Amino acid sequence: MEPMLQVRNLTKVYRTDAVETVALRGVTLDIRAGDFVAIAGPSGSGKSTLLHLMGGLDHPTGGEIWFEGQRIDRLGRDRLAHLRLWNVGYVFQAYNLIPVLTALENAAFVLELRGVGRAERERLAYRALEQLGVAHLAHRRPNQLSGGEQQRVAVARALAAAPRVILADEPTANLDSRTGRALIEHLQQLNAEQGITFVFSTHDPRLLAEVRRTVHLVDGQVAAA
Amino acid sequence: MGHLAWRNIWRHRSRSLTTIGAVAVVVFFTLVDFGLVGAVRDGLYASLTDVAGHIQVHVRNYRELREFRETLIRDSAVLAQRVQRVAPGGLVVGVLEVPALVAGETRARGAQIVGLEQPEPLRARFARSYLDAGRMLQEGERDGILLGAALARTLRVELGDTVYVYAPGTEGLGASAYTLVGLIRLPDALAEARLAYVSLAAAQELAAPGAVSRLELHLPQVRRIADDPKVAEVQQAVQAAAGAGYSVESWHQVNPALAQLNELLTPFLLIFTGILFVLAGLMVVNTVYLNLMERIREFGVIMALGAGRRSVAAMVLWESLWLCASGAVAGTLAGLPLVWYLGRGFSLPVVLQEVGAAFGYPRVLYASIQPLEILVTVAFVVATGVLAAWWPARVAGSLQPVEAMRFVP
Repeated sequence: MEPMLQVRNLTKVYRTDAVETVALRGVTLDIRAGDFVAIAGPSGSGKSTLLHLMGGLDHPTGGEIWFEGQRIDRLGRDRLAHLRLWNVGYVFQAYNLIPVLTALENAAFVLELRGVGRAERERLAYRALEQLGVAHLAHRRPNQLSGGEQQRVAVARALAAAPRVILADEPTANLDSRTGRALIEHLQQLNAEQGITFVFSTHDPRLLAEVRRTVHLVDGQVAAA
Repeated sequence: MGHLAWRNIWRHRSRSLTTIGAVAVVVFFTLVDFGLVGAVRDGLYASLTDVAGHIQVHVRNYRELREFRETLIRDSAVLAQRVQRVAPGGLVVGVLEVPALVAGETRARGAQIVGLEQPEPLRARFARSYLDAGRMLQEGERDGILLGAALARTLRVELGDTVYVYAPGTEGLGASAYTLVGLIRLPDALAEARLAYVSLAAAQELAAPGAVSRLELHLPQVRRIADDPKVAEVQQAVQAAAGAGYSVESWHQVNPALAQLNELLTPFLLIFTGILFVLAGLMVVNTVYLNLMERIREFGVIMALGAGRRSVAAMVLWESLWLCASGAVAGTLAGLPLVWYLGRGFSLPVVLQEVGAAFGYPRVLYASIQPLEILVTVAFVVATGVLAAWWPARVAGSLQPVEAMRFVP
């Protein structure tokens, strides 16, 4: 079976004024449907950059990215936005919920961007909140939630839209041990029961212990996969 | 996106309220200005048409005729009937203007004798607007005369004095003596210094039995400038009824300068309003742009979640439109009731009353606003919202998600 995501010889160089920073140096990687993969490495190793490129958030300097047979590294901004909207779910380290929306509205936000009607998107969002165990907080604003609750709402936001893959950037980094453990269990359950593909960037040993595969990045290169 | 934009504008309550307040003030002043300009235009319109009628009928090419007798409409009664037939609700008034020499016991001046027989509503309005002392002429009164106050001063005559009128070269008696029964104060000082009023019967006896210089058609149901288009329809009908031997003119043609002044008021107001909206728009731009800059990271997240450039720009546009719409609602809720209240009648301050009187405005004005003017105000609000959002929306739409998420203010 063809991998869902294929990364070939990927390079990324950031240029600011006269300074060049090489974030990725020829990364090659395959992600299969249903994977539960971590991209690990120390700070500055290029984990987040790789995640952003795989999710179509940025353009690489060189190399190729294929998503379900479609080359995406050369797509324009609007087509990349469309790709993200319909195929990719994001979970961020800092949760990044929209502070003026309730948990339910946050969870429904991607569906709203897709143009799903209010009743349907609230139904789907509520179901996602239920799956993450935070449905009872549906009408609270982010500032009324703990860090762990906010992160679960953020996962529900990614989950509600039923994306092909969820990319999570250091999802447990801001959570305490118990909350982090609970979130990992939720993600494992979603992967096992619904076959959702997860790709994490992390250096959290708790998460690394639970994933099926770990890709180690060092100085922008794959050290071990 | 609309509900998100609505909540976003309340993140900084005081800033948004200030901006909404600015838009509200502009909308309020715009509506009130439209109402006041409507009052001024309607006042001028009513004043002009009270004095000269909505439509006048003269002999053909009357402006080019030099001889008094050539300007006379001799079959005035028949013509008046024909005019009345095509304008059933109208009041047809015959007017005879006679160039004459007017004298008191010691002084004399060249003057214009105006003979007219006003029906009651016009007569009462004339008295209310212009009679300064004494009384109006009775119907068919042969011996009384009204003088412009300035003319009376020049002639050194007072109420009750005898005034002598000489109209040589005319077809009537050519000379007559009247008793001064009233003094008229007119907006136009020159007119006040040369006009004298007698009854139509007295003027005809003096200068042209059975004839008039013109027929005036007053349309009592057309009191506001907004109703003026009806006048053109009636004018055509009157011209057809009068025939080719007569010149039928609307008040526009009789008073082209005042008609033009009237038409200039609206463009001036629109320019003034446009400037106010530009100032309010700058406040909206400032608020929307600050809101944007404070939420760059959030915009990056929203784009990462799949929002395209259009969605992000639409969110900014919505915020701008909400600010403007809220201001519009507040300004309208304050402005329209005030216009309604002023529509029941108001007087200008005394100083302005004198200035207004010089231009022929009545003492009591009635604010009025047309639906089109409310629509124009709404259009200004929408245009302000869209234009104010244009630049911030472009900035938001050009954000790169990753850079935006890393943005440090």
